[in-house]
Amino acid sequence: MLSSAFEALKTYDWGTDRAVLAPIDEAVISTRDDEGARRELEASLAAVLGTNVSRDAKDYVCRKLMVIGTAASVDALARLLPEKDHSHMARFALARIPAPEAAAAMRNALGTLNGELKVGVISSLGARGDEASVAAISELLTSDDPQVARAAALALGDIRNAAAAQALAAAKPADPEVMRAVVDGRLACAEKLLSSGDKSAAMALYKPMLGPNQPKQVRLAATRGMLACTGQKE
Amino acid sequence: MSCRQPTRRKFLQTAAAVASVPYVITSKALGQGDVPPASDRIVMGGIGIGNMGASDQGAFLGRPDVQYVAVSDVRESVRKTAKERADQHYKNGDCQTYNDFRELLARDDIDAVHVATPDHWHAIMVIEACRHGKDVYCQKPETLTLREGPLMIDAARRYARVVSGGSQRVLEDYKELVGRCWGGELGEIKSINVNVGPLSQLCNLPAETTPPDIDWEMWLGPAAWAPYNAARCSGNFATDGGSWRSYVDYSGGGMTDWGAHHFGGATFAVDVRELQPVEIEFHNDPEGKHLTFKYANGILLHHNRPKTENLVVEGTPGEKRPAKPVPTYKGEGGIYGDFIHCVKTREKPFRDIELAVNTVAVSHLGTIAYQLQRSLKWDPAAQHFPGDEEANRFLDRARREPWQL
Repeated sequence: MLSSAFEALKTYDWGTDRAVLAPIDEAVISTRDDEGARRELEASLAAVLGTNVSRDAKDYVCRKLMVIGTAASVDALARLLPEKDHSHMARFALARIPAPEAAAAMRNALGTLNGELKVGVISSLGARGDEASVAAISELLTSDDPQVARAAALALGDIRNAAAAQALAAAKPADPEVMRAVVDGRLACAEKLLSSGDKSAAMALYKPMLGPNQPKQVRLAATRGMLACTGQKE
Repeated sequence: MSCRQPTRRKFLQTAAAVASVPYVITSKALGQGDVPPASDRIVMGGIGIGNMGASDQGAFLGRPDVQYVAVSDVRESVRKTAKERADQHYKNGDCQTYNDFRELLARDDIDAVHVATPDHWHAIMVIEACRHGKDVYCQKPETLTLREGPLMIDAARRYARVVSGGSQRVLEDYKELVGRCWGGELGEIKSINVNVGPLSQLCNLPAETTPPDIDWEMWLGPAAWAPYNAARCSGNFATDGGSWRSYVDYSGGGMTDWGAHHFGGATFAVDVRELQPVEIEFHNDPEGKHLTFKYANGILLHHNRPKTENLVVEGTPGEKRPAKPVPTYKGEGGIYGDFIHCVKTREKPFRDIELAVNTVAVSHLGTIAYQLQRSLKWDPAAQHFPGDEEANRFLDRARREPWQL
């Protein structure tokens, strides 16, 4: 049954009856306590990614590897990151595979991707809270592509460690939407610092956001944050 | 918004503003009778004005304390109809239309927005609206993944925004049950049962010709790319394949769509709406698969318990408890009035985003237990499944570029 499902994947496309893949869905559950069978299933799925099957078939495989993928699938998935039609679904799996190799593969792709595909990888590293990516993502705050710079700011706000806070504090983007993301990231970092008890570092982040050139909601956020730093209630 | 900042719209502040002042200031602009002057109304826009969005638009348009000025939708015909609805109401042509919601959010004159897109857009739009200083009324189910909820709450709290969830049924449909539970008639509450479903499914519908009316890339947004199909993006309320509510990339199915109402009403009735479960027990009985959510305070929330009707509460027969005051809407006009009242007063609305997120979290946790076909432990403070690498993979899903929370 499982072999017939893999055979069906070769011609699977939008409009195909999904029932033909049901054995794979079932194997994802039934192999949970059988490491050998699980790894065999993973290898079979990863192998499909290197074949000439439809976008829909690869989409399906990435969804399954999101659930059962390990370091063993990372290379097959990473090869899809530069492909416009498959990059998102490769991240769909890589972003949720806990193996550090998955994050490393996305980090390595940062140097080769551009535009929206780069934005996607930055966002997945941020959502993953990948502290090892902070240095590389921080450099992108000055990217000529405002989409990339904005994504970098939001990702650093997701990671929100000391290095991310430092990079965001130093950023001076001219693009207003990048600045909005930088400010959001700074506020996220300040909240993290405040909750961890580092009030002076949080205060240092909040203070410059009180300026009259900041939008009302930012000044409000900074004021509330500073009050919290001093232990005062609103 | 004028109630917070009465002088915000100082029309004579700049030369540009002077040029925009109409030659004839109408009685509507100045206000008359029960209608406040324009400068004292909440200026609103709507994003996603199809089925529920049209209903929400109608509710806000009907309020004299709202000035509805803009709509955003990825369907041209929907934008046109929504604009006509607003323009006819105000007898002018002022309502602006946008294909891209970001242009609407960029308008400084808009105080608040309502969001009624498919669920895969909710978190991005709510968070972005907060970053732009807007208050938000977001249709239910407010989230598509567990990770989105805390980020939406963070954005609301960070920028001190009023963000209301959108289930009017939580208060209005379950009033009698809530009254009995909070009134102490049932004694100590032990459990409640909710029957709701189904889960959403992967969509594999065939490609159809994309109509020129729709911006398909924007409809998909952060969801996985897929070809246009009318049923894939239909806004009707079907959860059996006939609408986006049936499909996993855009919705949690009936489990979240009606779950937002039923779980919302149930957790309100047994007073656990400020909590999230700590354990989800999966039962694979001959009578069917079902769940028991356990809360830290001992309350049990059953899902699809065999031979048990929806919203049956197990109390302590013969025992009475002191009545507690039941929370309700503020202001006038149901859930919409509650939201507008809170926009003016900066209070938390009845369906504050945190309560809404807690409700939909029940649906998501249940969905993951059914998908994995096993029991789960959940840490509400840490927002993860402790030591459960397999379940933690389901906390979120990567969004299609360039969309990001």
